[in-house]
Amino acid sequence: MKKYVLKRVLMSVVTLMVIVLVLFTLMQLLPGSPFNDERLSIEQQQVLMTKYGLNDPIPVQFFRYVKNMLTGDFGKSYTISKDTDVSLLLQNRLPISLLLGGISIALGSVVGLFLGIAAALKHNSLLDSAATFLSVVGVSIPSYVFALGLSYYFGFQLGWFPMLYSVSDGLLAFALPAVALSMTVMATVARFTRTEMIEVLSSDYIQLVESKGVSGGHLIFKHALRNASISIITILGPLVVSLMTGSLVVEKIFSIPGIGQLMVQAIQSNDYNVILALAFVYSALYIFVMLGVDIMYGVLDPRIRLAKEDSNG
Amino acid sequence: MDKTLDHPINPIDDFTFIGADNISQIDEVYEEDSFWKQLVKRVMKNKGSIFGFISITLIIFMALIGPMISGYEFDEQVAGHESMAPRIPILENFGIFDGTETLKTSTGELEVNKYEVIEGGEEVYHWFGTDVLGRDLFTRTWEGTRISLYIALVAVVVDVLIGMTYGMVSGYYGGRIDNIMQRSVEVLNGIPNLVVVTLLIIILKPGLMSITLAIAITGWIGMSRVARASMLKLKESEYVLAARTMGAKDLTIMYKEILPNIFSQLLIMSMFSIPNAIFTEAFLAFVGIGIPVPMASLGSLISENFKSLTTHFYMIVPPVVVLALLMLSFNLLADGLRDALDPTMKEV
Amino acid sequence: MTKLNKKHLLVSGLASLLVLSACGGETNEEVDSSAEADTSSDSQVLNVQVDVEVASMDPQIATDGTSFEVIANTIDGLYQVDADGNPIPALAETTDKSEDGLTYTFKIREDAEWTNGEPVTAQDFVYSWRRLANPETGSEYGYIMGIAGLENANEVLAGEKAPEELGVTALDEKTLEVKLANPVPYFESLMSFISFYPLNEEFMNEVGDQYGTSPDTLLANGAFEITSYEPAATTIQLEKNESYYDAESIELEGMKYQVIKDSQQAMLSYQNGDLDLVTLAGEQVDLFKDDPEFVNTQAGYLWYISPNTLVEGLENENLRKALAMSFDKEQIAETVLKDGSSAADYVIPEGLATGPDGKDFRETADTYLAYDPEAATEAFEVAKEETGQDTFTFGLLVEDTESAINVSQVLKSQIEDTLDGVTIEIEQMPKKTRLDRMKQGDYDLGLTRWGPDYADPMTYLDLWVTDGSNNDGSWSNEEYDEIVFSAIDGDLSLDTEARWEALKEAEAIIMDEAGVLPVYQKGNAVMMQDNVSGVDFHAVGLSRVYKNVVKE
Repeated sequence: MKKYVLKRVLMSVVTLMVIVLVLFTLMQLLPGSPFNDERLSIEQQQVLMTKYGLNDPIPVQFFRYVKNMLTGDFGKSYTISKDTDVSLLLQNRLPISLLLGGISIALGSVVGLFLGIAAALKHNSLLDSAATFLSVVGVSIPSYVFALGLSYYFGFQLGWFPMLYSVSDGLLAFALPAVALSMTVMATVARFTRTEMIEVLSSDYIQLVESKGVSGGHLIFKHALRNASISIITILGPLVVSLMTGSLVVEKIFSIPGIGQLMVQAIQSNDYNVILALAFVYSALYIFVMLGVDIMYGVLDPRIRLAKEDSNG
Repeated sequence: MDKTLDHPINPIDDFTFIGADNISQIDEVYEEDSFWKQLVKRVMKNKGSIFGFISITLIIFMALIGPMISGYEFDEQVAGHESMAPRIPILENFGIFDGTETLKTSTGELEVNKYEVIEGGEEVYHWFGTDVLGRDLFTRTWEGTRISLYIALVAVVVDVLIGMTYGMVSGYYGGRIDNIMQRSVEVLNGIPNLVVVTLLIIILKPGLMSITLAIAITGWIGMSRVARASMLKLKESEYVLAARTMGAKDLTIMYKEILPNIFSQLLIMSMFSIPNAIFTEAFLAFVGIGIPVPMASLGSLISENFKSLTTHFYMIVPPVVVLALLMLSFNLLADGLRDALDPTMKEV
Repeated sequence: MTKLNKKHLLVSGLASLLVLSACGGETNEEVDSSAEADTSSDSQVLNVQVDVEVASMDPQIATDGTSFEVIANTIDGLYQVDADGNPIPALAETTDKSEDGLTYTFKIREDAEWTNGEPVTAQDFVYSWRRLANPETGSEYGYIMGIAGLENANEVLAGEKAPEELGVTALDEKTLEVKLANPVPYFESLMSFISFYPLNEEFMNEVGDQYGTSPDTLLANGAFEITSYEPAATTIQLEKNESYYDAESIELEGMKYQVIKDSQQAMLSYQNGDLDLVTLAGEQVDLFKDDPEFVNTQAGYLWYISPNTLVEGLENENLRKALAMSFDKEQIAETVLKDGSSAADYVIPEGLATGPDGKDFRETADTYLAYDPEAATEAFEVAKEETGQDTFTFGLLVEDTESAINVSQVLKSQIEDTLDGVTIEIEQMPKKTRLDRMKQGDYDLGLTRWGPDYADPMTYLDLWVTDGSNNDGSWSNEEYDEIVFSAIDGDLSLDTEARWEALKEAEAIIMDEAGVLPVYQKGNAVMMQDNVSGVDFHAVGLSRVYKNVVKE
């Protein structure tokens, strides 16, 4: 097990390096230099290109970038916040997006899990239909529609929650955006849980356990859910990142100073260093989550672990 | 046991030799036939899936003929017809959909009916109203549905062709192959969708082709993961071992033995990839690099009319409803199919 | 692995889902404790919505309206503009202008000081001006030093001379001498432009490239100082600067900027009472235009279509004219934009510049290329004959903002309706990409805009000289070039009245040839709470000034 984990960690690091190379290459193909503002003269643009080393040979630029990145230096933002360290931009925004994403995914998974289990237990009942309907609505309506709806009714009409992000509101400021964001997670988790639980609940071993007299919560959580969770966990990885990226619209609506907003802005203004830094952060986050998922896999399903450790399986 | 009774007993065959070949042949024909028959039967039993099927058919039908029957072009801007509320013949007589709209201005509520104001407005009908540029929303909604259906199709095709195969192969062979394949996916997937798609569309020219390509490149990964996970779970099972022992080829095991057993999960996953693909498109529209104007997709219509949500609420309703209905239908149909397909669920 | 172990791991596995939120939570508390509690809406704090973040707090680096606005709240220049847009002294106590108009001597106020207690000196100006002109600074507004006509400005900008040779010197601590290469009629107006604002050299050396990244790395000498800020912040808080020389006349206790990009959301917050000043867009104008709190202001921005005259078909003057007259600008302004924008049958915006006669440029100048479908069709027929072509297809580059996209769709529809045989293909893209494509001449038609930098027609007219760096469409006319160059530093620059007439002529030349196709002049629709008064709106340079604001 230890060896397996170590191997996975090593692979993740290599993957991340490859991603940086791919990103860097992609970035070279992006049209437009960051210094094409209408008021800059050609001479000035050249001065700037040299100043930021953009005229150097591409391999030189690449290795410089990797070297700096390893020391936590993502370079400077060219356009969004002129001449500011990108790490400074990230430093303030990353925790906010992580917090928002974390709350949303926790909220969504917990509610989704319970909805899915409830629907599976009362298969084909009214509760099942209601849960299915709710989860379908969750995946069918874009989160920004939820976001605006929530902000209109709970923020404006009722005035229960703040409509706009403000540090002074603390966690309360995340209430509406987190709910809006968690809808997709909730719906996806609920659907998947339901499917998996129905399958697991009808399996022989559960019926055996049941016939032994085990019932209720013990049966569901100890025996059924663990097996169902293997497949459920697989969707969590992609969900985490899609949540992060998807959140930018919600971040925009609630004026949340997160990395999603920053990302689109960076792409639109060709702010190379910010794009690279954010892509790196997203990638690192994703690989980290996937690493966790893979390790959990091994823990939850001995068959996979055994297959990996011993190819004779 | 009942099937022998179904089989007509021909007196002339009384004395023919019943070989093993013959029996197995009968079984096979029966199995094939009943599988699909049962499927249809079971799907038909499920009210949800009937609803889903009918409404998908209806939506496809409307997407085909909708833009033709409204009398407007999807990009036709009628001067003076900007922001008109829905007006539908017959219904208007009951006081609904008569083109009246209540504007909540800061100086009080204002009831306006633009059809009464504009010249010749008596004869004008916009069933879903018009947008801020005076384009008929009925036409645009169905025109947009076409694009979204196309994207749904792309997503499913990509899922099945690339995602399923990739995941199954990777999971089945395991070891080094799995490692290489998974690392490649990880690299591709480690770059956030947002970045891949946006960069791609900036590098290419914005348009339907680029969006298709973007979805093709990133859309199948989720499917491949589920396919792989399921494959990992099943490939060690006894019946697969049995098949292998009996000398079945890898391809046969993958497609004939394992695929039917993981089909339900893959089906659900591919149904999920539809909203994902459509949302990817909508996201691109939101960032401003989606379908080029004046074309429309449901996603771009939502983004577009979202800007008038607090002023002209009716504008966002048709695309949201159609999109939600489309998703709902796909999901319900998928559920029905699943119930019908998944053998382990027959007793439940 | 034992059963117990597995259970433990399952729990920890599920718990790891919550890890993200947990670590985020700690950070949030930190932010919490560092931020000041604000109960803003009731006190003398003005809450303002802006739709983009501040790009830079550095006066020599900033280029956008929002950054300008916030900087101007915290730093004063030699001049400022009054409510009517006329330049009036700020830090300059007295101004001496030599007979020939080539030397200016400014005395800086004795009581002007930075928030670190240092006095504002002439050296502060010398430092920041050299910085502006130094090509290494990479200031997009560096060229404005040349516009201001400072000695050696263009040579320094081009890197041919050292920044020290720029025509600005500190005679003593409080006396600044500026030498110009040629008389510049709008020099005093330029002195209120942000790029010419001073910085304290000592402080700058202390903070280095961290300047303007937090309240600690910012210095103010103006009406307010910043108490909460981070790069690209969504909220910015300002507090009244008690050491400001004119602190007595500042009524506000502070200001709070909130970045809200969605105008509906902004409006909801406004109605909630969280904001005092918001900008409206499109449809919302319909709902609020009768409100007593509704204010319509004219902005100096001109939106126009730049035709690439190197593209086949667009080199034809008649075709360009046909295009220019084929769309209904009034309709675009009134039914699509609705924000107080007006149809532009000109290139020099209204309210931009006042001539020697005391009248606005537009009052005495003609209008051109008005919407006229018949004339457009006629011109199109001629163009068809001249080019020997019946159908034309042009791409139209637009940036992906709501208004630009809507306007482009109307343009497409109307041009195609009026001119049978012309097809317009809209290509939408991020602004940076659009600018890039246009700079490289890789386009047919481009919907673009230009904001005025100073109150003179030249801010527009010098765009379209032959080989000008912003003359994307490569339109060229010798006579036009002659007038413009002469008005900058030739004979015309010496005779203000003749210059004024010549500028009108220059506008006529480019309009007669349809070198660019004007569409509209931008207006702004804002909502301002009725207990707020004294916000000055301007079409040029700083769009909003808050020094006279009173909140009751």
